[in-house]
Amino acid sequence: MLTAFGRAFRTPDLRNKMLFTLGILALFRFGSTVPAPGVNYQHVHDCLIQNKDSSVLALVNLFSGGALLQLTVFALGIMPYITSSIIIQLLVVVIPRLERLKEQGQSGQAKLTQYTRYLTVALAILQATGIVALARSGRLLPCTDSTGAQIDLLYSTSVFRIITLVVTMTAGTAVIMWLGELITDRGIGNGMSLLIFTSIAARFPSQGTDILRSRGTATFIAVLIAGLLIIVGIVFMEQGQRRIPVQYAKRMIGRRMYGGTSTYIPLKVNQAGVIPVIFSSSLLYLPQLLGQVWTSNHTFTNFVAKYFTATDSWTYIGSYALLTMFFTYFYVAITFNPVEVSDNMRKYGGFIPGIRPGRPTAEYLEYVLSRITLPGALYLTAIAVLPILALHFLPGAAAGNNQSFPFGGTSVLILVGVGLDTSKQIESQLMLRNYEGFLR
Amino acid sequence: MTQASEYEGSARRSASSGRGAKRPSFPARVALYNRQVVSELRKVIWPTRNELITYTIVSVVFVAAMVAYVGVLDYGFTKAIFAMFG
Repeated sequence: MLTAFGRAFRTPDLRNKMLFTLGILALFRFGSTVPAPGVNYQHVHDCLIQNKDSSVLALVNLFSGGALLQLTVFALGIMPYITSSIIIQLLVVVIPRLERLKEQGQSGQAKLTQYTRYLTVALAILQATGIVALARSGRLLPCTDSTGAQIDLLYSTSVFRIITLVVTMTAGTAVIMWLGELITDRGIGNGMSLLIFTSIAARFPSQGTDILRSRGTATFIAVLIAGLLIIVGIVFMEQGQRRIPVQYAKRMIGRRMYGGTSTYIPLKVNQAGVIPVIFSSSLLYLPQLLGQVWTSNHTFTNFVAKYFTATDSWTYIGSYALLTMFFTYFYVAITFNPVEVSDNMRKYGGFIPGIRPGRPTAEYLEYVLSRITLPGALYLTAIAVLPILALHFLPGAAAGNNQSFPFGGTSVLILVGVGLDTSKQIESQLMLRNYEGFLR
Repeated sequence: MTQASEYEGSARRSASSGRGAKRPSFPARVALYNRQVVSELRKVIWPTRNELITYTIVSVVFVAAMVAYVGVLDYGFTKAIFAMFG
């Protein structure tokens, strides 16, 4: 399978798609490095060195690939897009009008996508305002120069400059959204996941060297081995499937015989993929974001700081676990529709041996899916939460934000999950090409 | 093979067969559910050793390649930006 990567580059069509994706990712990284107008790049650079990993926004910073604290054009990353797509998908279940739209098929789906985009822009404005306000008051990166005076991150705090900054960041988010959709449409893989993947990958080298420098070579190697073990575990769980046999009835159409084949429906143990983890961790940063709105001694801010910002507090771990479980079931429920699958099977003369077609089949699929998802949900939760717990109880563990730890469960899960998905897509596209070439 | 034998335990059957039948207690239902989960889990096809190794290598290589690509890009961009603004 490794040689497939090499062969993939020799297939013109596939090569174009891959180069297109890589090009878009390069653009994305470029936007994440260019400072937004009015930001004093030199000062930001100095301040970043001063408070290396003490920031409260470490997780958001990780998901934006370090762009957030540097106040770049793409500072917000794709977080607003993710948050808004969660909200819309939740609302589809709740609001009947949206549910009707979803059932309309193509045109309704287009309408929902449109709503998602509007909501993204609204969220981006909110978030950009919050970040800029923080930067202006000096609470984003609190740092002082040698005389003890505060260093300003912005050149000027006039209203016009502030508005320009907010507009730029919002526009940046809209561009990121477009880049993601371009990758999904014309490149390889899912745009949204690939962009998160890139952001996390961007933090990897610097955090790796941090560990190497501060904890020594032995710890570094231990972390690498632990990471490798986690990767093997993730691959194992992602590949496990429950195969439900499907038999197709033989039938004559004209003079030819059709069907009579037997296949299976693969139900993965973790049917939901990495999305639930992304969803739950991006929802959990919302209270942090809200907490930033008020000045530092407000009751709500204190409450949030105590229970949701410290990632080793029990409330944080507990709600993280619960949300992950919930989103696993939720996402499986919205992506796999047993009634639809059983209807399709019946249309083409397929059935599960021992189960009558129609409603019993749908019920059976539902039965298997809901039972197989429990271990899947537990596995996702364990991967997400256990590293935090391990770091918490291990002697000599660093205080501070463990979520931004490069081998923290969430980021490794996203990296490996997206990596596996994308290389499988490349593989299947390659098969398509090669078979074509072989038969011709 | 009868239809009911596909389901572990008899939850489905008793639910549809008699309204007079008493519903099992909550712990009993949880226990049944757990047994059903375990029995479904037994039917799962796990990757073979070979598959596991190939997929692990592929994902590690993919991740490493992407980290390297992004790292080189970031290094270049940061240098360029610093030269312009710094």
